[in-house]
Amino acid sequence: MNYKKLGFRCGLEIHQQLDGKKLFCRCPALNSANDPDISVRRRLRAVVGETGEIDKAAAYETARAREFLYVSHSEDTCLVEYDEQPPFPINEELLDVALQVALLMHCKIVDEVQVMRKTVVDGSNVSGFQRTALIAYDGWIETSKGKVGIQSICLEEEAAQKLEETKTTVSYKLDRLGIGLLEIATHTDIVDPEHAKEAAGVIGMILRSTEKVKRGLGTIRQDVNISIEGGNRTEVKGFQDLRAMPKVIDYEIQRQQKLVGEKKKIEKEVRKAEPDFTTSFLRPLPGAARMYPETDVLPVRITKERIAKIKVPELISEKTMKLGEEFGIQEALAQEIVKQKIDLKQWTQKYPKLEPAQIASVLIEIPKEMKSRLKIDPEPLKEKDFHEVLGALNEGKITKEAIIDILSARAQNKAVNLDQYKPVDASDIEAEIEKIIKEKPGLTIGAYMGMLMAKYRGKIDGQKLMELLKKRVK
Amino acid sequence: MEFCESTFLYTLSLPDSIMPKPGDTVKITTAKETFEGILMPRPDLLTPGITVIKLNSGYNLGIESKKITSVDVIEPYAAKTPVKTASAQDPRLPTVAVISTGGTIVSKIDYYSGAVSADYTAEDFIEMCPELKGIANIRAKKIMGIMSEDMDFSVYEQLAAAIADELKTADGIVVTQGTDTMHFTTAAMSFALQHLNKPVIFTAAQRSIDRGSSDAFMNLICAVHAAAKFKVGMVATCMHGDSEDDACILIRGTKVRKMHTSRRDAFRPMNENPLAKIWPDGKIEHLNTQYAKSHEKPLELKNQFEPKVALVLVYPGMDPGSIEYFVKKGFKGIVLAATALGHVPTFNPQSSLMQVLDKAAKKKIPVVIASQTLYGAVHPFVYTNLRKLSVERKCIFVHDMLPEVAYIKLAWVLARAQEYAVIKHMMQTSIAGEISERHQPGEFLI
Repeated sequence: MNYKKLGFRCGLEIHQQLDGKKLFCRCPALNSANDPDISVRRRLRAVVGETGEIDKAAAYETARAREFLYVSHSEDTCLVEYDEQPPFPINEELLDVALQVALLMHCKIVDEVQVMRKTVVDGSNVSGFQRTALIAYDGWIETSKGKVGIQSICLEEEAAQKLEETKTTVSYKLDRLGIGLLEIATHTDIVDPEHAKEAAGVIGMILRSTEKVKRGLGTIRQDVNISIEGGNRTEVKGFQDLRAMPKVIDYEIQRQQKLVGEKKKIEKEVRKAEPDFTTSFLRPLPGAARMYPETDVLPVRITKERIAKIKVPELISEKTMKLGEEFGIQEALAQEIVKQKIDLKQWTQKYPKLEPAQIASVLIEIPKEMKSRLKIDPEPLKEKDFHEVLGALNEGKITKEAIIDILSARAQNKAVNLDQYKPVDASDIEAEIEKIIKEKPGLTIGAYMGMLMAKYRGKIDGQKLMELLKKRVK
Repeated sequence: MEFCESTFLYTLSLPDSIMPKPGDTVKITTAKETFEGILMPRPDLLTPGITVIKLNSGYNLGIESKKITSVDVIEPYAAKTPVKTASAQDPRLPTVAVISTGGTIVSKIDYYSGAVSADYTAEDFIEMCPELKGIANIRAKKIMGIMSEDMDFSVYEQLAAAIADELKTADGIVVTQGTDTMHFTTAAMSFALQHLNKPVIFTAAQRSIDRGSSDAFMNLICAVHAAAKFKVGMVATCMHGDSEDDACILIRGTKVRKMHTSRRDAFRPMNENPLAKIWPDGKIEHLNTQYAKSHEKPLELKNQFEPKVALVLVYPGMDPGSIEYFVKKGFKGIVLAATALGHVPTFNPQSSLMQVLDKAAKKKIPVVIASQTLYGAVHPFVYTNLRKLSVERKCIFVHDMLPEVAYIKLAWVLARAQEYAVIKHMMQTSIAGEISERHQPGEFLI
């Protein structure tokens, strides 16, 4: 497809939850999984004089008809989420994270942060508005297809999570409400669907590089704005997997092309990405958001001194590249080492006789193999268990084949004797080969191999054993 | 909040005629960039040196004023004149007068210019809550625009007169005010409006009305219902009964107190049950029938107060000089919010109040004892030290009367009695339900 010819315009909006305490209260950002122990019923109204007459009437009717049920657990909600206490000053640590990201994305930073109230009447904010502030603008990120401009970086409150909706009641869980959320909007510099996925990946990587973001399902959300010549802007949200993004965008282009072909009007709307890569109507795209100042929170000056003190973290992509170069390990392995924040240098210094790649493999791949091949959960393994096997391997006390057996035993809390995995001398094995041939002559090489493996499993490399056997048996 | 014109006035020397004003759409140029948006006002209290504009996206952005090289007005601000249509009167409905005094419930801000609208009409209330039209014919009157912490006895006098005036033709009254001192006002009105035979309902908002979640809407609707059909002759508050937008509770004006800084259900009944629960659909459930249904005598306005009255909190290690100040300054009466049953320091010479209370007695300044525990009653005799106050120093113990109510009542009593015995009798006699002699176990912490 020639996307340029189609007049393809595409921009991203990424929402990322921040870790630590919430943005305007001192509750921890937990996304609590506990059963709710608080519940409150409320109603919302369209606020007088805020919108045009027709909008106001419509919004008023919608708001009046429904009741909102808010539930949460007390471990991560307080009176602030329930709109029963004014907000605390903005969480300065989260503001620093926003500034870090702004610097990593080469943005201009505002001189003074002004916290705004964005009117929201669907009940997802107990107060009826979302607090949000513009932190930085006019930046860029690097991708393989050129720079993608960053339009804005906003720091805002996460909304509550909808649980259920009936004609009369909408219920929300408030544990998520008020968690710091970074909203990163790109310019429409994205050239094709694959590029959208790449740019989203780069933004996600930059965010994770701060080490201050929340991880797990739903903690980062990508919205894509798409339009083609003759079409209209649609916003697609709810991608479960970044890998589905190019296909969903292609399908949306096709949907718009079909409508353009049929000379039908394409509405400005928000659409949901479905698992089959198609999209479905979610709601009309809101007009210019109604915003007014949050007078309960003082504006925050961003001084040059403050910006100078911000530590700009090294990007995960840079760290991975360096690690690969320094230790000669593959990219995938290096990525995992960075992700799990393993200090590989320290491990290699401690076990100098081992190859860094071998150490990395024991730390990363053995637990994965335990899980996938042996169905053993590696979770109970402690750092000391890895030191035990790598130390023994470094001193030649065990074979590398023994490692998965020993770690599996440790993970299952089973007794294990390391002496059992002592490497055996070639001469000992050769003597054993002589012995079994004498005892049971005339068997196939496979049968002898089976007998030897039963005795030496984990103590010698199978390939080596076969070599020795082949010397005696044809 | 007060707003100054705009802070970049300090850094730009432009002729007045082309000086941009808040609300104007402007282009701001700095050495490195340009911004377009609406120039915003900036509160006086904030650090100067920042110019704020609202961008097209709706976000406000602060620009360091000294960086600005020029400001061009693209489109000057044009204030919209609101169109107000008078609403039709329904002769079958009762008439409720809504008197506003200021506070959160009636604040309306133009977010473009930052100006606070000062003109509240019945139509504004109806626009805020269209349901009101079906409950009563609303007549709105704004008599002042002050914060509740700035209220004083002269305000109470004015308000009582306004209520009495409206009562001539209205079936019930709703008064809106700031929440903080609303329980002082309801006490003052309970004494100033004698022989009430219609409801006078106070309501307010803990959340500003710019937010969809404001408690103002339900409070106002329930208050109008109460004023229209709660058949009592008394002053009461009508606020959220709990944190939910389910129902309001009506509480006697002399038995109510703001017990939380910010919750919707901050107003609680003290030492008695709420009078009734009232739902936004007009349903009323009576919870406490100990009140005057209505009075046979005509309404009597007794709105004079003696302002030289003090309310003093008693606390460990207090300096008796703090009470001596009022004695020397010629105060006419003192209310002590004493500890629990009515104790004050008596033993340690540095903090004992005995001498200063002797001086007050000598000067014939009545000293009233109420309890800072708020719940329960003071007792003049159970301990020796209490008898030192009640018997030896003639302090007036006022049973379960709240300290704030005792303060308002003493000011009211002193405006009409000078003799100690009369003052004592009036203070210890319940006039507007401020003293209850029977307490039930369930009346604590509700």
